[in-house]
This record gives sequence, C-alpha cells and structure tokens, in this order.
Amino acid sequence: MVGFTSIYAFDDSWRVSRFTYYALLALQHRGQESAGIAVYNGRLSHHLSQGFVDNVFNDDVLHMLQGWLSIGYVSSGFNSTYMSYVKNPTELIICTCRLADNVALKLSNNLSRYDPFEAVEKLVREVNQPITFTALTGGGEAIVFRDFLGLNPLSIGAYGFDYGAVASETSALECIGADPKGDVKPGEAYLFTPYSIRRETLFKTCRRLCSFEYVYLARPDSVIDGIPIYDARYRIGVELAREWPIEADYVIGVPDTALPFAIAYAQTLGLQFHIGFISTGRKYRTAIKPSIFERIVGVQLKLNPIKSVFRGRRIVIVDDSVIRGTTTRNIVSILKNRVGAREVHVLVGSPKVVYECPYGVDVPPRDELIAANLSDEEVSYVTGADSFHWLSINSLQKALGIDFRELCLGCFTGSYPEVDL
Amino acid sequence: MTFKIMLIGEAAREHAIAEAIARSSYSPKLYSLMTYRNPGIARIAEKTGGGVFIGSFLDPGFVAGKALELGVDMVVIGPEEPQFHGVADAVENNQIPCIGARREVAEIERSKAFMRRLMWKYSIPGRLRFQVFKNVEDAVEYLKEYAESIAIKPARQVGGKGVKVLADLQTYLSSDRCEVKVKHARDIYGKIMRDYVDIDDKILVEERVEGPEYTLQCFTDGYTVLPTPLVQDHKAAFEMGIGQETGGMGTIASSKPTLPFITEEEYLESVRIVEESVKALHRETGVRYRGVISGQMMLTTLWGPTIIEFYSRLGDPEALNIMATMETDIVELFEAIVSGKLSKIKLRFKPLATVVKCIAPEGYPQRRDIAKGHLVSVDESSINALGCRVYYGSIHQSSNGLVTMGSRAVEVIAFAETIPEASRICEEAVRYVKATDGWRLFHRSDIGDPEVLARQVEQAETIRNIYKYRATRKLLGLHLDWIPGRGKITIKY
Repeated sequence: MVGFTSIYAFDDSWRVSRFTYYALLALQHRGQESAGIAVYNGRLSHHLSQGFVDNVFNDDVLHMLQGWLSIGYVSSGFNSTYMSYVKNPTELIICTCRLADNVALKLSNNLSRYDPFEAVEKLVREVNQPITFTALTGGGEAIVFRDFLGLNPLSIGAYGFDYGAVASETSALECIGADPKGDVKPGEAYLFTPYSIRRETLFKTCRRLCSFEYVYLARPDSVIDGIPIYDARYRIGVELAREWPIEADYVIGVPDTALPFAIAYAQTLGLQFHIGFISTGRKYRTAIKPSIFERIVGVQLKLNPIKSVFRGRRIVIVDDSVIRGTTTRNIVSILKNRVGAREVHVLVGSPKVVYECPYGVDVPPRDELIAANLSDEEVSYVTGADSFHWLSINSLQKALGIDFRELCLGCFTGSYPEVDL
Repeated sequence: MTFKIMLIGEAAREHAIAEAIARSSYSPKLYSLMTYRNPGIARIAEKTGGGVFIGSFLDPGFVAGKALELGVDMVVIGPEEPQFHGVADAVENNQIPCIGARREVAEIERSKAFMRRLMWKYSIPGRLRFQVFKNVEDAVEYLKEYAESIAIKPARQVGGKGVKVLADLQTYLSSDRCEVKVKHARDIYGKIMRDYVDIDDKILVEERVEGPEYTLQCFTDGYTVLPTPLVQDHKAAFEMGIGQETGGMGTIASSKPTLPFITEEEYLESVRIVEESVKALHRETGVRYRGVISGQMMLTTLWGPTIIEFYSRLGDPEALNIMATMETDIVELFEAIVSGKLSKIKLRFKPLATVVKCIAPEGYPQRRDIAKGHLVSVDESSINALGCRVYYGSIHQSSNGLVTMGSRAVEVIAFAETIPEASRICEEAVRYVKATDGWRLFHRSDIGDPEVLARQVEQAETIRNIYKYRATRKLLGLHLDWIPGRGKITIKY
C-alpha cells in the first residue's frame, strides 16, 4: 500500500519540505516500511529510506530538502521502487504504486515526445495497469494521475492563494492547513506548471472504488470520493446489528479502526459500548506488518485489556477485518483467559477476505487467509469464540451506498475489475 | 439636444457600463476615453454617434479638457486610478457633472490604512484589527513577534496585487510560514510599493478572517446609498479555487438581491455598513461622494458581514452582473446622483441569475509577459444565440484581429433561472472564444457549480451560528481572551 502527497507552492518563497513531512505523517497508516520526499528548487533533490516517516526524516534532512514543489510517499513495501529518479531524456522523479516496472523511464521517454497529458495517457496504456502517481520534472512541473478505476484515493486541495496540494486522503491535506476541494477523479490528471494548473480526464472507464479503503485502510477523519469514512464505518456497524443481533452485555471494538463499527453496533441494539483495550507505543498496523514475529508483537502491544468491567460478562467484540486471524485469536484468548469474560462473540465488519489483491493492498497469499481455509465453525473453534460472524457483501454495499458496479470487491469475491484499456 | 456622456476606462467593466448607457431611452452619445482600443466599447461609442479617443486618462487636466472640448454633459469614470489622481475633481471643477469619487473620498479605496482608520474612528461594524507600517524593518519585527493568522497587503490599492492571506493554525508549520510572511513584507516594500511614492504607509497587516466572500456594489449621491444585488467573485486563478489570486475569474449572482448563502438580514446589515461609511467619509473629508462605492465583504464569525476592502467603483467582473440585468435607465440614475436626488430613484433588476466567466490567456496572472500578444477569435453570434453576451477586457483590436494584452481578455455572461443553469449555458458559450495562434486560453468551469454553492451554504451556516451566538451575548466587536499566567485580555473593536 502507498500514500501519496504533492505540494505545489505558487511562489518560490515557500519551503514545502516540512509541509510534505506532516502530510506524510498523516498518511503513515497507509505504509510503515519506507518513506521519501523529493523537492524542486530549480533542480530536483530527494531523500528516501526504510522506516517510519519520523525515522526517515529529521530537521537536518528537511532543511537540506529546499524547494517550493514536492512529492512524497509512504509505503508498506521494503524496496525503494516507490520513488524513482530518471535523468534522461526528461529529468523527473516519480512516486508510484509498485504495480508496474519502469514507470519512471517510460514516462520520461513519453514526456520528451508528447505533451504531458498525452505522455501520461500513453504511459498508462503501455503499462495497462491501474497505476496512480505523482511526479516532478526537472522543468518544475508536477504531474498527478489517479488510476482509471479509482482504486487509489486521491484528493486535491489548496491553502489560500499560496499552494495547491494533493494527498491520498483529505485528512493529510487538513494536517498541512490546506482546504480539501475535491477528489481527483478516476482517470484524471492534473498538471501544475509555473503558470497554470490544468486538469484533464484521460480515461473514462467505469470507476471501481476499493471497498477495503472504506472498511480498513483510510483514516476515519478522511472523506474519499464524497463519502466520509467515519459515516461509512458507522453504517457498517448498523448493518452488522441488523444482520447479527447478539444478546450480550457489552460491546468492544478492536482499536482503532473497528471503534466506529462497535459504537454503531452498540447504539443500534441499545447495548453498552466500552473501551476494551489500551495500546502501548506507536500505532502499528498489525495486519500489514511483513513478518509473523512483528505482527504478534504488534498485536500484543496493541492489546492490553481493561479487566474490571468485563469479568463474567457476555461480550461482543467487533473487528474491522480478519485476515489471518492473528489479532482475533489473541483477543478472544485475552478476553477469556485473562479477563474472565463468560462469552465472546466476534463480529467482523467486512466480508470474508478470501482472495489476494492484485492492485497493491497487502493481502497475504491465499494459504494464509483464515476465511479461505476454514469453515465458519472451524474459525470459531480455532479462535475460541462462542460465535463468529462476517458482514455480508450485500450489507457492505448497502452501508457504503455505492453501486456494486462501481466497487472493487476482489478480495472478497475473487472477481476483479477489467483493466484492459 | 442629445445627451453626451464621456466614459473613462477600457476594461470589460466599462464595456458593460457602455452597453447600459447605449440602452438608455435618452439615446445618449457615448464618447470613450481609453488607453487602448477595446473593440466592444469602440463599437458601442461609434454606434451611438459618439467617438473613441485613445490616450492616458490619469491626467486630470487632460480629461477635463477633453470633456470641455467635446461639450459632454457628464463624465463617468470606470476605474479607480483616475479617481486617485483627482480626475473627478478636475471634471467637476469645470462644471461638468461626474460619476466617480473625488480624490478625498476615493481615499477609501486608495489607502487601505485610511479605510481601516476611518472604520475604527467612526465605530463602523465589520472592521478588523490592523497595523500599518511605513518602514519595512518595523513590519518584519512585528511579523516575527506575532506569528498569527494574518493578511499582509500593500497599504495602497495597487490593482489588487500583492495580497497574501496566511492562516497560521498549525504551530508545527509556523516557522516556515513566518519566513514567507517576512519575505512578502520585504517584497511589498521593495518591489510593489516602490513605484508608488504618493503614500507614506507601505505595509498593512490585518487579522485574517475566513468565510464566504461577496461584493455589494452601491450607487450614492453622498446622501442616499442605493444597493444593487450581491455578486460573488472567484479570485483563485484555476479550477476548484486553486491557484494564485487574480482580479477575478468570474462571478455569480442569483435572481434575488441576495446570494444563496447570504440572508436578507445580512444583506441589509451589509448595506448599513456601506451607508455608515459614506456618512463617515463625508464627516471626515467634507466631500460628498457621488458615484459608486462597493464593499468587498465576507461573512465572518467576528461580525457577520465584514469589510475586507472598499472599492470606489464597480468591480470587474462584478459590474457585468449588475449592468446586464439593470432595468432602471442608467442616465436617469446618473442624473439623480449628480443632482443629489438619488432617494427618488428605485433600482430595478431583471429577476435572473447570472454567471460571468472570464477567459484569460495562459500566463495570467503571474506571467503577463507571456500571456500577451496572442490572437483570439470570438464568435459573438453563436454566443448571442445562446442568450449570452460578450464583454471585451484586456484585449485590443489590431489590424490582424483581436490581440490579448496579458490579463483577462474576454468575459462572457449567461442568464437563467438558477445559478447552476446559467453556469451550464456559460460553459457552452465560452467555447466560442478561441486562441487562433495555438496558445492556450483558460477559464473556470467550476464557477456556479451546485456543489461549490452547497459547500458555501454550509460554511455560511457554521459562521452564522457563531456570530449570532456572539451577537446574543453582546460580544460583537469584542475580543475576549485569557492567557495563562498573564490574565484576562479584552480588546474592544
């Protein structure tokens, strides 16, 4: 997974590296393995490395990155192909998702032969993949493109008359003081030049928004394609209550993503919602940690239980998604063994994740997906839950309020959008 | 005997005024004084049997002389700069009635410091806290000391340029923003204000406010203030309100006097602010204001209607929305202004929503040098067939055709029941304005977009809620704060 940002100041008295840094901090949940920033101040320079945003950058590094234009990324991948630099024929630096090889070189070639919009269109046709990217050229232009299916969210905003900004999520724009103005539409490109901002729709394909963004990936304070994430998650909780009303004493959400689901579930059924767990240290996204060891450490640090209220009670625990089941097993075990809950019912705010994602969401191989390998009964047995239920695909669609034909549900159904242009 | 009017100015605003003059039932002859040949104004002037004179209109003696020579019955001044130079004074001193503020009262636009001091001195609502600096180092010291959300402006009107509005709500980004503030203050002092030696105040720092903006254009004879329907300009250069500040890329007005996000009550309060300002100007200068005074206003949590700037003229492009829908005979209106009988006039407007879109050559506003000199074709008959009208701005007629001059070249107005519908029609019409030399022209398709309107309605509701709360507790015009360790702070506006 990747988070993108780009800042384009309209006058060269701005130094945007710190703004870019804070936008990336706000996007940290989209990728915690590497980060990079490139700036332009008459020439291009960049810095990237493995690690969290605040490990990759410090004041000295930000001070070196002087410029009034920038692009930046965070990513859940190890290697550095997410930001690449090409000198010839057209000097540029690009941040993109990992789907396609040599995107930088191909774009560089195209830019030397065509106008920027044509260059992007030809690049995407060559690659034939739903890539999203931000790029800076050696001529001081920024090019932003959102994939033609709209799988990767991308918003655009502005800070007064001083800079335009693009980011994967609106919350990152807000974090740097920019007002979100709208979404970059699927298949749409923006070109910032020293004297204009232009947008063009390069592909008019049917949008297929990533349902996983709404369920898990995005921050609840973001708005993606006009849908506030918190509202979508709240409605998922309402749908869960409608599909799986359970007689229980208390409802808990797995922090942090599942809290809106749990609140909505409890409110809909008139049950009490309580905070169940307190985390230690940084907010790790446990599902996307690459090694088993890191995932388990992540889960354990994230989940120290509050014991007092739950002893002897019947508890519904709501999670946003269950991939391998690592977190869920830990939680059920903690609630039963350490807290002494009488019953533990698990509800999942997404349908069963049973297929991999070819578009960059870090879903593990199929043999690691619990729902792809075990029956519902077996899942209950393995996790130790009294009952275990998933949101149906229909309810998810209803909660999101997006037409089936405009959603990508590939990880739940195995049926992916057509990409042939 | 035919009535003769001399119109000064050559922008799209003056084109719209010229058109309203030509519509008058008095069939006046229009004489145009402009610095370059605006094809729209020239055509109208010639059609009315008047004439076109190319020349500088900043020299009061020259303008008055020309008016005497032509024997005109009235002079109408479109832009602000001739007013600052005393053109209205010279014309009136030669016993020729003039629509346009005299130098002393045009000060309300020329000097932003004068305007703020006037508002404070006469306790006019809608005023903002401000600091004026004659010296750049004092300004820099102030900016470094008080890192807050502010607007930094040249203290003089310099064609709308040089304004920087910097919200400073994220402490972690303050130091970077402070550098920009300081650099901008130095730019205003060293670059923008260098050419204006007619004023001591150089830099104005004002508290920054936030909210939907609108323009209230009024006619006045110094006694009565007659408001026209509200118009909203769109200042950012590019789509979705992103980009540098321009003179305005387009406007909207509804079929009612207000806008969808401004209440009747707020409209009346805005008018009251302008009325009080006109009165205060008279008390301060002893001069009657005869002409146009416009409030560029914002709905803020501080006051509700708040003055951002005053214009001593109609706005451009705001003038178009008003002039194109005005049913009152403009000659009667002007006669009433110069004779001090404006209270007898009732302004009438067609109940239509209007949307204006400005078309500019790429390069505007930052690189006017490259935006200049491009050939443009305008298919007026196709635009008229859509019920739209064309006004020429920064464009002149050469032997090769229409040539851009670096700013907004052509402005197109559309009429409909609703703003979004007018916007849609306007979008069709702007396609008939094309560059014929391969250069790119741009305009903003989002002006009048229903989503953008809805967002402003929402923002206005939020602000209304807060200023009403303040009003009921009698907190308008007061700033109450408490600083830990220092105590209570009360600032009275």
